[in-house]
Amino acid sequence: MGRYVIRRLLQALLTLFITLFLLHYLTALSVQIRGNPALLFFGGERTPDPAMLAQIERLYGLDNTCFDRPGDPCLGPFVERLQNYAAGDFGTTLNGNRDVGELLTIYIPNTLRLFIFSTITLVTLAMVLGTWAARRRGGLIDHSVRGATILIDSVPVFLILLAYVYILAVPLTNWARDIWGAESFMGQVFRPNYNPDYPWTTIIIPGIIVGTVGLATLTRLVRASQLENLGSDFVRTAKAKGLKTGRITVVHVVRNSMIPIVTGVGYTFAFALSGAVLTEGIMGIPGMGRMIFQAVQRQETNLIIVGLTVTAVVVILVTLVVDLLYAVLDPRIRYD
Amino acid sequence: MAETTGPAADVLPGSDMNAPLLEVEDLRVEFAVRGRRIPAVRGVNFALEQGKTLAVVGESGSGKSVTSQAIMGILDSPPGFVTGGEVRLRGVDLLQQDEETRRTVRGNHIAIVFQDALSALNPVWSVGFQLGELYRVHRGAGRRAAEQKAIELLDQVGIPDAKNRVGHYPHQFSGGMRQRVMIAMALALDPEVLIADEPTTALDVTVQAQIMRLLRRIQDERNMGLILITHDLGVVADVADDVAVMYAGQIVERANIHDVFARPAHPYTKALLRAIPRVDAVGRELEVIPGLPPNPAALPSGCPFHPRCRAADPERCGDEEPPDRQAAEGHLARCHFAEEVYRDER
Repeated sequence: MGRYVIRRLLQALLTLFITLFLLHYLTALSVQIRGNPALLFFGGERTPDPAMLAQIERLYGLDNTCFDRPGDPCLGPFVERLQNYAAGDFGTTLNGNRDVGELLTIYIPNTLRLFIFSTITLVTLAMVLGTWAARRRGGLIDHSVRGATILIDSVPVFLILLAYVYILAVPLTNWARDIWGAESFMGQVFRPNYNPDYPWTTIIIPGIIVGTVGLATLTRLVRASQLENLGSDFVRTAKAKGLKTGRITVVHVVRNSMIPIVTGVGYTFAFALSGAVLTEGIMGIPGMGRMIFQAVQRQETNLIIVGLTVTAVVVILVTLVVDLLYAVLDPRIRYD
Repeated sequence: MAETTGPAADVLPGSDMNAPLLEVEDLRVEFAVRGRRIPAVRGVNFALEQGKTLAVVGESGSGKSVTSQAIMGILDSPPGFVTGGEVRLRGVDLLQQDEETRRTVRGNHIAIVFQDALSALNPVWSVGFQLGELYRVHRGAGRRAAEQKAIELLDQVGIPDAKNRVGHYPHQFSGGMRQRVMIAMALALDPEVLIADEPTTALDVTVQAQIMRLLRRIQDERNMGLILITHDLGVVADVADDVAVMYAGQIVERANIHDVFARPAHPYTKALLRAIPRVDAVGRELEVIPGLPPNPAALPSGCPFHPRCRAADPERCGDEEPPDRQAAEGHLARCHFAEEVYRDER
């Protein structure tokens, strides 16, 4: 077990390092090919005073000559950046000169809230529907569940979001306000956009939508793994041992079924990050997804790198947790 | 052997110790597949006495395993249903009992050893837990006491270093050792009847012999009734007292082991015996039974074996289903010509 954990930790660190380097290299290439982002500082039209340009370049760490040589990996600035991150310094934005670390403290909690709601929705619905379908295998319910989840999965998330925002949100909000008042939970929950005064309430619906959209994969996974275990030889053994049905389910089915499900949740979580960009954009939630999207539009090199670094860290952490849970659940992995 | 922990559900209510240990009478099992009822076991009869071994022999699909699962009451239903007959344990018809009684019979009175121990053991629990579970559930033993019993059991079935092995997981054992764990699990509650469903099929030959010796030793020690299900007549020869040969969901021949080997009374048994490879027949082509076992959903008319039978009378065997005929004292065969086959005249 100890060796397994250490190996996984080292793998996670290595993955993180490689991700950071690739991010750095790609953005360096973009600067080398597309041109100097410091020019943006001057509106992008006028030719700036060389002295001022040099000062700006120094300010944002763009003064290294490696940025003039396409293909140069720019190791110097890379090491510098890692040192800054380690010291808690994430730099500033080109536009408005805001501290990126401060922006993160606003954006990360919002995205986390979105993920909490979407993960809860996803896991609960998938467990309930998957178990239900497995129990009624081959019946109407089984086919309906599988059909419906695939149908939801085939519709792009932004379409569902747009449909919600433009068709449902306003009438629902008006209806709820008439009954419970504008400042109540019900009055806020259906809003078509984020409200900074109600950071939890106004993220519930977007979270549910993101969670529902990823449902098909996990539901099928739950169904398949339960079916596999219900029909397995060791469940037959458990019956032959004279155990009660309840004990068989709890001791001999659930734990075995959890192994693929935990993996599935991990994957879906990482996958939801891409959904977050669209969701946060459409619902106006100031979160990591929207931040990265806008940073790309405005050529905010530093912001892009920081944003993607944070997402990479999250994905690597989730994968690590999944791997460790895996080992807790399955001795065959623990003792490999 | 009655060293039980805590309250024992050892005596089945209503049972009569003078009645035969296990009697199966006219047992019928059907499977519901797409609205159709497909017979898998079609009226099986046999009896098992204490301390005796009955070998049930047959090809795959002949209904051996379904019979054993029906006796245990662990048939997956749906699709499988027991549609008739009686399974009497010391005179008590198990099929008439409620689920709670049947549950206590499992493990306590009748236990089963499955073929493939790797898949029959739960991969995520230690063998100690899976063994101890029986004492905890049936005898109310605590975790410690259950583990102690598990170590004793592992020791009894010949697993070296049982004290350390008890915390290991199934995948950490070799095939033979895993089968020993399976056997230990079946023995845990000291059952009167042990069903071994192809216990050595998944093992290589040297290990097969060890497992068979172990089963025989344990049966002797505990004076259990043993039902040995196999498709391998070779395994049966030096272990069994009686043999029941199954074909298409029926027992087609039932007799003492020596009788069956010396003077089979059913053409199917005869063909099976001929198909055993012989050391003294090197170079001769291996005998096979022509054709395939019948599809239970579309059984041939008359005698189900007649399309593959050497001795069949084309008219009679294709039309008329043979009854059980007594070829000799205690030697039954389901063949119109049982006596003639027995005398080797057909």
